[in-house]
Amino acid sequence: MSDTTTRPLAAQGQGRLGPLRSLLSRSGIFLLLPALLLLGGVISPSFLGASNISNLLLQIAPLGIVAIGQSFVMIVRGLDLSVASTMATAAVIATGFSGANGDVLAIVAVVSAIGIAVGLINGFLIAKRHVSPFLATLATMILLQGFRFAYTQGAPSGNVPPLFRTLGSGKFDGIPYNFAILLILATLLWIVLHRSAFGRRVFIVGGNPVTARLLGIRTDMVTIACYLISSGLAAAAGLILSGYVGLVDNWVGQGYELDSIVACVIGGVSLKGGRGSIPGALAGAAIIVVIANEVLLLGLPIQLQIILKGIVIVLAAALYAR
Amino acid sequence: MIAPAAVRRWIQNNASLFGVTVLIVAVCVVGGLMTDRFFSFGNIVNVYEQSTDLALVSIGQTLTILTGGIDLSVGSLISLTSCLTSGLINGDPGRVIPVAAAVLALGTLVGVLNAGLVISLRVHPLIVTLGMGAILQGVTLFYAMGPVGKVPRDFTFLAYGRIAGLPLGATIAVVFCVLVAMFLRYLPLGRQIYAVGDDDNAARLAGLPRTRVLIFVYGCSGFCCAAAGLYLVARFGVGQPYTGVNYTLASITPVILGGTALSGGRGGVIGTLLGAYLISLVNNLLNFMDVSKHYQLVAQALIIILAVSVYVERRRMA
Amino acid sequence: MLTLKSISKGFPGVQALKGVSLEVKPGEIHGLLGENGAGKSTLIKIVAGAYTPDQGEMTFDGAPARWSSPREAKRHGVHVVYQEFVLFPQLSVAENIFVGHELRNRFGIVDHARMRREASQLLQRLGVSLDPRASVGTLSVADQQMVEIARAMVHRVKLLVLDEPTAVIAGQEVTLLFDRLRRLRDSGVSVIFISHRLEEVFAICDRVTVLKDGELVGTHDVAGVNRERLISMMVGRELGDLFPPKRAAAVAPRPVLRTENLSIAGRVRDVSIELRSGEIVALAGMVGAGRTELALGLFGALPISGGAVQVDGHRFTSMSPARAIGLGMGLVTEDRKSQGLAMQLDVAANITGPALGEITKRLLIDKRQEAAIARREIDRYRIACRGPQTPVATMSGGNQQKVIVSRWARICRTVLILDEPTRGVDVGAKAEIYRIMRELSDAGLAILMISSELTEVVGMADRVIVMREGRITGELQGQDATEENIMHLATTERAA
Repeated sequence: MSDTTTRPLAAQGQGRLGPLRSLLSRSGIFLLLPALLLLGGVISPSFLGASNISNLLLQIAPLGIVAIGQSFVMIVRGLDLSVASTMATAAVIATGFSGANGDVLAIVAVVSAIGIAVGLINGFLIAKRHVSPFLATLATMILLQGFRFAYTQGAPSGNVPPLFRTLGSGKFDGIPYNFAILLILATLLWIVLHRSAFGRRVFIVGGNPVTARLLGIRTDMVTIACYLISSGLAAAAGLILSGYVGLVDNWVGQGYELDSIVACVIGGVSLKGGRGSIPGALAGAAIIVVIANEVLLLGLPIQLQIILKGIVIVLAAALYAR
Repeated sequence: MIAPAAVRRWIQNNASLFGVTVLIVAVCVVGGLMTDRFFSFGNIVNVYEQSTDLALVSIGQTLTILTGGIDLSVGSLISLTSCLTSGLINGDPGRVIPVAAAVLALGTLVGVLNAGLVISLRVHPLIVTLGMGAILQGVTLFYAMGPVGKVPRDFTFLAYGRIAGLPLGATIAVVFCVLVAMFLRYLPLGRQIYAVGDDDNAARLAGLPRTRVLIFVYGCSGFCCAAAGLYLVARFGVGQPYTGVNYTLASITPVILGGTALSGGRGGVIGTLLGAYLISLVNNLLNFMDVSKHYQLVAQALIIILAVSVYVERRRMA
Repeated sequence: MLTLKSISKGFPGVQALKGVSLEVKPGEIHGLLGENGAGKSTLIKIVAGAYTPDQGEMTFDGAPARWSSPREAKRHGVHVVYQEFVLFPQLSVAENIFVGHELRNRFGIVDHARMRREASQLLQRLGVSLDPRASVGTLSVADQQMVEIARAMVHRVKLLVLDEPTAVIAGQEVTLLFDRLRRLRDSGVSVIFISHRLEEVFAICDRVTVLKDGELVGTHDVAGVNRERLISMMVGRELGDLFPPKRAAAVAPRPVLRTENLSIAGRVRDVSIELRSGEIVALAGMVGAGRTELALGLFGALPISGGAVQVDGHRFTSMSPARAIGLGMGLVTEDRKSQGLAMQLDVAANITGPALGEITKRLLIDKRQEAAIARREIDRYRIACRGPQTPVATMSGGNQQKVIVSRWARICRTVLILDEPTRGVDVGAKAEIYRIMRELSDAGLAILMISSELTEVVGMADRVIVMREGRITGELQGQDATEENIMHLATTERAA
């Protein structure tokens, strides 16, 4: 084997800017967010005001929760396209009952079952049948879509129990409940990913699947667990989103699958696996929301929001280019 | 199975072509048993015709997937080209040819731009095309927030016209597919597409013209999207800003069914075409069975899962 | 043919080459030696057009050369056969040979039949017969290398660079390779030959250049130097005996692992061997004999298709890596980067990899304990790194290997299997790894070493088991374990 102190081809042309670029790629994300916030403040003084920040947090929470799940899956070298469908299904179930608080337990039970089922199907297909993650989660996404439409006959109706409305859109002293939930989940899962033995295994499996097996790691179990986490979080996010949105249609959460991937990529989670962090994913989610809001604030047409999102994705990924 | 070695090897090498053909036959059998209208000439032609748009897009997608990449901007590009087509023509027959040509050129250019970004920024095509898709969607919405413009009646010939009794659009798709297949097999650039998909790093070290390969495949994908956009305008008479939304992910299914591996380096366009037919057949069958549209989606998903599980088994056996 | 003047090249954090000058004459086989990290690989990549030098000039065939890409270098007649093959597993042999330069017929389209024909001819001239339609991914490593070399031979080659070409072939194939290289040299082609095997350098090279720490140490005619001189040039110091003394015959080893008619996944058949504590057993044979498969099977990475394994008194008909580790076994794989290391993690994570349970308290990892463990191993094996947090990707091959060895050494109780442990490792680190192996076996482990380097086998092993085509052809001990006997067993049909 030739010596390994030489950098890969990609690093070749970096010269003097090399160290700067690697510094930027590691912590740039955490500079971008404050910069964007500052920009918002410049655009409009009320942007940094308590009520607007609080609104931003409300929007960041559901995306953030899904992004955390997506980061687990991406680190293990996968992809979860079914999260939006899981969210929507959870939201639809939430309105499928009588709409009273007494149903909360039943709703949670059904939604948990769905989340677990989807995670198991995805995990099984990917880990045991070696189906490509893109394909497997695409299939479950369509599957859920079909069932959801059949269940609601295309026209969902009903109300969300008041508890979900509170958790989804209520605030305590200006801090939205759903953001608090996000923080709790994020902290918990940060510990899991970055401090626990399981989390270490996730990184090893994602970065080096062959090595992982030879170290005695049950790679299939680790993979399935990650997909379970992703769909579980997606289900939870769906319930929370239903509380935020109030009325529910079949397309609740539309676009969250791609947005969560974008959030992760911006946050430094690599599609190739083995790299990433939860703070990064959250920062990515925050950036997406902040940009969207700033576009609105600037009175710019909504189309620009979409365009900007596209540009940010590509630029962020270019910064992390490996 | 006692078959001569050459036949057995052919089956092994083209396991998925074999597989998708088997599936098509299976669906036909089921359909034939269900109702005798299934095999009527009119229905077969219907199935053939319904596959056109998906087939066109999927052929382009096959090329990008063969290089180990993917094009997630197809949906938005289709929307954009369809809006531009009907919007710019706006009923004027004299504009048809120039606008169609311009739209095809635009599609190709967008694809080339995708390739350029992938190469210069060294970013995974999934991310680049995802971003580009968002940008294109925004641009489309700038141009039109709803159905826009119109086309002269003759334009719809593209979709509804007949050549030798068969739908024009679908037949163009077939001819195009065959041309691409021959290109892949008989032109050096075509062979290099497989090499790049098989091992990108090795391709770089071997000095293969990666840039040329990527520009070609993504340019082609863009061209196919534009063609699909033209076809959709011919079919519906007008372009819409969200018309392409479902095609992004839908264009991948026929590619996989046809045996092209998502990781690249293996597969081809003939399989993709068959895959598109299979999907068209299944939808047709489900319509006959009066299955609601919702369950059609479920069926599609199940087919994907089934097909891929079967292919995995075959690959392990080979 | 090729002249390099004061070539320098640096990367963030490391200066790979410092003012290296080199001259390769037309019609000469020029050896390039140096420890890992000496800069050989960087130099080669510059010659091949994959890198551009920061400073210095290069002339090729009389004209100044500043390649902007490997393609350009190729056009001028420079061909490199890298150690990591540049092959496309899903493409056929013929297509691999002609990739990028596909043969066309008079209509301008790709002529598959002609490519297949010429590919066969090319391979036959190299002494190999392969089906040109076969997917390269299904070939053995040795055959793959032949395809690689055939690929380089397609064009008018002026300078052929071979990076560790004999790492995956042995015996007859090496002889063939050297014949072909001599023929090329006599026809005016220059060859740069990189190898860690000094015997080969003496066998085939005309002149040899030694690099150390990115600098040129010297260029000499092969006839004018000897082995010790070369080693000291590479290492910069006198190296005592490479191989530590063998096991004292007085101590009687105790059996630790036994296989009963073990068959593995069609590549290993009916193997019955015994490994004993305190003993270093070498597993010799040609590439493709099934040695790696046997190792993987013992460790549970490949399924057992027949027979059984007895470890520590227990009998098993199926095995998994987790179970093997639980039984106190360890495996140092052939391929460090993709099978042995978690490349994006640091030294500490790689050392504690299979023993996460040890550093886990209440489900969480105790980072301090992990670092302490790592530090202990770093000191013990003199691993050159900044600390437990050093990313393994920045370390040299020899040090990476030490990380892997330390990982297993600290938790193995029964058997440690090492597959080509010193491949791609420089002489200095080699000696250390040999020392470590002997220490471990003296402490009671049974060691199984797979090696294709016969000097290594003879130098280290207390006992040699030879395999051919998946079966054991014989066992040699003591005085009988000579290179000739081993070679004989590795290449003849099984007796009886």
